Amino acid sequence: MKTKYLLLIGLALAMAVVLGGCATGLSASSWPGVTADATNAYIAGGPYVYAVNLQTGVEVWRYPAKAATATPYYATPVLTPDGQLIVGSFDHKLYSLNPQSGAQNWVFDQARDRWIGGVLVTSEGIYATNADYNLYALTFTGTLKWVSPFQADQAIWGSPVSDGTNIYFGTLGRKVYAVNAQTGKQVWVKAVDGAILGSPVLGPNNTLYVGTYGDALVSLNTSNGSIVKQETASSWIWSGPVQDGTNIYVGDGNGMLYAFPMTDTGQPWTQQLGGAIVGSPLVNGKTIIIGTELGNIYFIDNTGQNLRPISITGKIYASPVAAGTLILVAPTSGDNTLVALDLNGVTKWSFKAK
Amino acid sequence: MWETIIVNPFSTALLLIYKLIGGNFGIAIILFTILIRLITHPLMASQIKSSTKMTEFQQSKQWQDIQKKYKGDKEKLAQEQMNLYKELGISPFASCLPSIIQIPLIFGLYQSIMRALASTPGQLLIFTRAVSPLLNFFHINSADLVPLNSKFLWMNLGQPERVYMFGVGIPLLALIVAVTTYVQSKVTMPASPNPNDQGAMMNKMMALYMPLLLGYFALTFASGLSVYFITGNLIGIAQYALLGKVNWRALIPGYKPNTTARNK
Repeated sequence: MKTKYLLLIGLALAMAVVLGGCATGLSASSWPGVTADATNAYIAGGPYVYAVNLQTGVEVWRYPAKAATATPYYATPVLTPDGQLIVGSFDHKLYSLNPQSGAQNWVFDQARDRWIGGVLVTSEGIYATNADYNLYALTFTGTLKWVSPFQADQAIWGSPVSDGTNIYFGTLGRKVYAVNAQTGKQVWVKAVDGAILGSPVLGPNNTLYVGTYGDALVSLNTSNGSIVKQETASSWIWSGPVQDGTNIYVGDGNGMLYAFPMTDTGQPWTQQLGGAIVGSPLVNGKTIIIGTELGNIYFIDNTGQNLRPISITGKIYASPVAAGTLILVAPTSGDNTLVALDLNGVTKWSFKAK
Repeated sequence: MWETIIVNPFSTALLLIYKLIGGNFGIAIILFTILIRLITHPLMASQIKSSTKMTEFQQSKQWQDIQKKYKGDKEKLAQEQMNLYKELGISPFASCLPSIIQIPLIFGLYQSIMRALASTPGQLLIFTRAVSPLLNFFHINSADLVPLNSKFLWMNLGQPERVYMFGVGIPLLALIVAVTTYVQSKVTMPASPNPNDQGAMMNKMMALYMPLLLGYFALTFASGLSVYFITGNLIGIAQYALLGKVNWRALIPGYKPNTTARNK
């Protein structure tokens, strides 16, 4: 009898440990967010935000000094014009850090869910979308200016964008919202065919582009939300599209990279890459750079020609980031936390968080 | 292996139920729990039968005589106990096995709920990779299921639950989990003639610790798991009731069991 109950109690405790592990399984939560200034790269990579020197690849600081498992950072960090680094956490808090030292400036703690996308910084302040269905407008000192007076229909994972008048964002509930940048009041809302996981991008002629989990790239008129055009992909589109003034580029779950013309001068093309494309492509001059789940980074001319694959250990879900003459790539479950390539795809340094 | 055998099929079954009933994930969890309990009902019945046999054994004159006879010799007592188990066809672990089987089911269900709700990019990516192909087999496009409606009554099933009153978050569901677990333990606990015997004391300990443990899980983890616990507790009581083994009087403070009557 005693053995039986001891066994049950032991299994119950084991259950507590395993369930605890499930709940805080950081590796399954998301993938790193990366940004850079002229001096450092900044990586929100699980329990820490790291600053890494761009010249040497050596860690400059990490925040917090001691990791808390319940506080993983994955949202892309964003730099403000007044010298702050803003990064959201899964602990529902938005942090402002000093990019030079990693010291905490302020914390905004009024949101009720995870910060998954990076914030939008304009001259007016900080606009931040949260998985609690709300858009928050903050001053540069972290004071709440307003929270949108309506709730979106579902969680917001992507960063918002702005044309100066309105703020635009998509939701997991398959809707695109335009809200007034001054008041947060809803200007229009438009339903699309699939969940929107990434950020929208603004194009010419008052057009807003969103990629959907329902295999489509949708363009909408920013003045009223009407759908202008819908392009079909071969699979889900995860992160937001990017544009270079001529074409709009987006990848899908089957590893197809698409270029859709935004203007009459653009030429459409597609390229089949190896592995699903989760992150957004990077437009770097006349080169498009994109990572795939199989651990390949592809450099390709913006005409769709001259494909150059570079192999990196790990899965690449995060979008590549340009930092001067370097391309920064943050692989997931690879040997390194951050890899810096030159424009020919040669590794200059790699950083592994300890 | 675990993912292939338990988590992905569980997630798929949950999502199929969700789709069939028109998109209520809370109801889907309840129906899925009932389904699991129906499938494991023969085990539960066997557990009840074994527990009853064990209680009868402990109350038997034969066992009490042996206890008296070998009072000072623990080794001999254990040996005689095993011999008596064999003679009477009792397996000491038969009543324990169904409870052990419940534990991987709880793991699996929790992981399935989190996978199906996919409340982070990483979880949605795993959902897309692991569950979508199974859904495709049933001609369901996973894009149609993203996002799931995770709202059920006042809860977000993907988050720990709190009811806010005057600015204070009250874990109502965790309290219900603890209370239903306690009630289930009490009303289904086999009566013992001697409240000081080892088995009875262990039962009492379990009746105290299990509500605390499950209450802690409910407090900490996604509320979808709490819905599973509450449903499971209520169905558990119903299963015992169907087999005539529920003793509601055990809830009365100071209640002393009439073991002769109950265990006949």
